[in-house]
Amino acid sequence: MGTQEASSPRPGQHEKVLSLRGLELAFGPNKVLRGFDLDLYRGENVMVLGKSGSGKSVLIKCIVRLLMPTGGSIEVLGQDVLALGQEELDHLRVKVGFLFQSSALYDSMTVEENLRFPLRRHWLATTSGEADGLVDEMLSAVGLAHTRKLFPSELSGGMKRRVALARTLILKPEIVLYDEPTTGLDPITGKEIVELILKLQRSYGTSSIIISHDLHVARMAANRIALLHEGRKYAEGTYDEFRSSQDPLIQNFFIFM
Amino acid sequence: MNGSAQRPIKVFLTEAGGFSLFVSRFFQNAFHPRFEWREFIRQSVQNGNGSLPLVAVTAFIMGLVLTVQSRPTLARFGAESMLPAMVAISMVREIVPVITALICAGKIASGMSAELGSMKVTEQIDAMEVSGTNPFRYLAVTRIWSTTLMVPLLVILADGIAIWASWVGMNMKGPVSWQLFQRQVFDSLALGDVLPALIKSIFFGFVVGAIGCFKGFTTAKGTEGVGRSAHNAVVYSSLLIFIIDLLAVQITELMGLN
Repeated sequence: MGTQEASSPRPGQHEKVLSLRGLELAFGPNKVLRGFDLDLYRGENVMVLGKSGSGKSVLIKCIVRLLMPTGGSIEVLGQDVLALGQEELDHLRVKVGFLFQSSALYDSMTVEENLRFPLRRHWLATTSGEADGLVDEMLSAVGLAHTRKLFPSELSGGMKRRVALARTLILKPEIVLYDEPTTGLDPITGKEIVELILKLQRSYGTSSIIISHDLHVARMAANRIALLHEGRKYAEGTYDEFRSSQDPLIQNFFIFM
Repeated sequence: MNGSAQRPIKVFLTEAGGFSLFVSRFFQNAFHPRFEWREFIRQSVQNGNGSLPLVAVTAFIMGLVLTVQSRPTLARFGAESMLPAMVAISMVREIVPVITALICAGKIASGMSAELGSMKVTEQIDAMEVSGTNPFRYLAVTRIWSTTLMVPLLVILADGIAIWASWVGMNMKGPVSWQLFQRQVFDSLALGDVLPALIKSIFFGFVVGAIGCFKGFTTAKGTEGVGRSAHNAVVYSSLLIFIIDLLAVQITELMGLN
């Protein structure tokens, strides 16, 4: 299969919103990324598939410069991420949402305060009423309007993930990076989260990179899959192309399907 | 030098180097025009209010105990009338600033370290960063400024409580007028007693906040690491408080303020 391109048409195929070239990252002698390439087009969902510990989360942390790559280039919305100053990077980060595997809700704040926090930081809501409206809109979109006054410790794992999704999308990002969005959730809740991601993507027109080892997520959400293996892109294609592949490494991912 | 002897030296140098960089990063961000006033006020209220009961009770007990225990010794030399002055000078110059700072090290530094450490290991600090907020400016700078302000204020308050407790202690042996006691206290205290104590309290406050935030921001290895950071925050800040106190004594001595 090699680095096969998806045969299905991509949404907004001609407008590239993210491009990774030869991305390298090492922790001491341990080389996690060894020249990874990836493109993301507007409106598209790309899933990065890989075994645990293969460097998937590290990859998306490099995109928002939570980790600094040791080599290669990252271009997001036409900007060279590695060359940006702190202020420019902060502006760019507003346009790139990040959903953490652990949800990463601020546990000293209520759900409402969690959602208001990024708004307040970036002056995106000029009045309290406007901020209220946005919080209401996002919480309703994830079906949790009744949790406004609750603290994260009072929410279930699935609810936390939904609130985190609402917090990510409240800044209306153009690109969303999902780090294992269904990991740790039961299959029903996991499916609900993926359906929600798709619904919100349609509503807000975002492009996404989804990190996961779960092929159910790939089947439901991905326009394209890139397989990360030994720090490089081992293969790329649609779900159907992966499903029909004879490559033993790819077939391993379908063992439990 | 064998490996086991080298390890503590390496740990010490790594920690000292890391802390120096952290402090320099603080000063790079401390005067940024977009100061996080809301978080600073929240932290100041939390740190001040949270520590006030413990500081107040401790100051009361220190003032009372020192008075009651010193009286027989002074009486033996016929210097019982010196008791208010002696208690006031000891309290204001040394005991209250150091004990208050140690209480804050135990309460505030460990609390900050645990809070920021758990935010670090649960990726909350990363979440803040990717939402375009500078977590160092929002979390560390505000907390360090808040302790730098609140510890001296707590010290001033504790001074007052300790002196009042000393008057209560004096009244246990017979009535003493508050006005007379107060006059003796204020006559005995000079600017050279109050000012150095206040200045070193500012440094104590800075150390409490800086160590608490440093250990929180450098927490690693999950929940076990959070516990270790909180423990180390208390140990390091207490140690630094004593070192600063020692330096302050030497400096005031050199300046002829003793």
